[in-house]
Amino acid sequence: MHEHDDPHRDLLVILRHAPHGSSWLKEGLDAALVAAAFGQSVSLLFMGEGVTALMPGQGPGPLEQKGTAATLAMLEMYDIETLLVDAETLSALGLSADELMLDVTPVPAAAISEALSAHRLVLTF
Amino acid sequence: MLLHVVNRSPANSRVYEQALSAMGPDDVLLLIEDGVQGALPQLVRYYAKIEGRLFALREDLEARGLLGRCAESVQVVDVDGFVTLTEEAERTVSWY
Amino acid sequence: MASTEIYRYLFLNDNQYALDPESYLIDMTDWSPEVADALAREEGIELTEEHWEVLNVLRDFYARYEMAPAMRPLVKAVGKALGPEKGRSIHLMRLFPGSPAKVAARLAGLPKPTHCL
Repeated sequence: MHEHDDPHRDLLVILRHAPHGSSWLKEGLDAALVAAAFGQSVSLLFMGEGVTALMPGQGPGPLEQKGTAATLAMLEMYDIETLLVDAETLSALGLSADELMLDVTPVPAAAISEALSAHRLVLTF
Repeated sequence: MLLHVVNRSPANSRVYEQALSAMGPDDVLLLIEDGVQGALPQLVRYYAKIEGRLFALREDLEARGLLGRCAESVQVVDVDGFVTLTEEAERTVSWY
Repeated sequence: MASTEIYRYLFLNDNQYALDPESYLIDMTDWSPEVADALAREEGIELTEEHWEVLNVLRDFYARYEMAPAMRPLVKAVGKALGPEKGRSIHLMRLFPGSPAKVAARLAGLPKPTHCL
């Protein structure tokens, strides 16, 4: 579970926006998937509002807009398996990691900077 | 050392909290655009935990009439200084 | 993503099916095994049992994830569903020469894979 300590990983995508409200989350996931499709090692870090992307039981929007839950479920097919969640946000939202839709690793504040340093490129969305 | 760049004011955005929680002990933070409001003495307290590692972009302060009003703990850099910081940093992370 | 620009039609048994400039079906619900056969013939491919099992993996992938996979995840999905012998790019290259992720998605009636350039 400590893959983020490996200094040779290629890309960390930080997702800070909720599903449906804007296209930021979708664009961040697209960036991650494109990189992974080209063989880059990709990790995700969910922070702030972005944590709500991991809520179970999401559906389409009121106008049938596609959400992002299916894309998140697809991450493992792209070998994106290092999924980090800001532990502080998690507790601020009253959530625990085991009720989220994917197998995610909560990261205490002190370890987030290490995660950033462990990747050659960091993109914030 | 990573360079973090924040372009939102702590007066109406909590993006600064995300930047702070992602900062390592050697990382520095540069305030640009609306972010330079955070250099005002009344708002700089949000950045108390990184005192000495906080920079603000001169051009953006000037444009907003804030250049003479920064807290003393904030280091003012111009665009050339920004470039130097970028070169010294292993990489740059933007918070917006 | 499937484009909505109608570029030409596929004619088959008195029906016509709108295709985009890259020959993807514009309306996914137009798809049928007969349409797949016709699209494959245009490509010079005669669909065999081995092709069909891959097309079915693709249609399952889309049903579950709402996107057509790029090459790597396609290889992985085929490996999971049909075993490691078939979950290899060389197998898919043989069945769907050129760009297997794109060609197979097209024949399976899916939109163009989103994450391959």
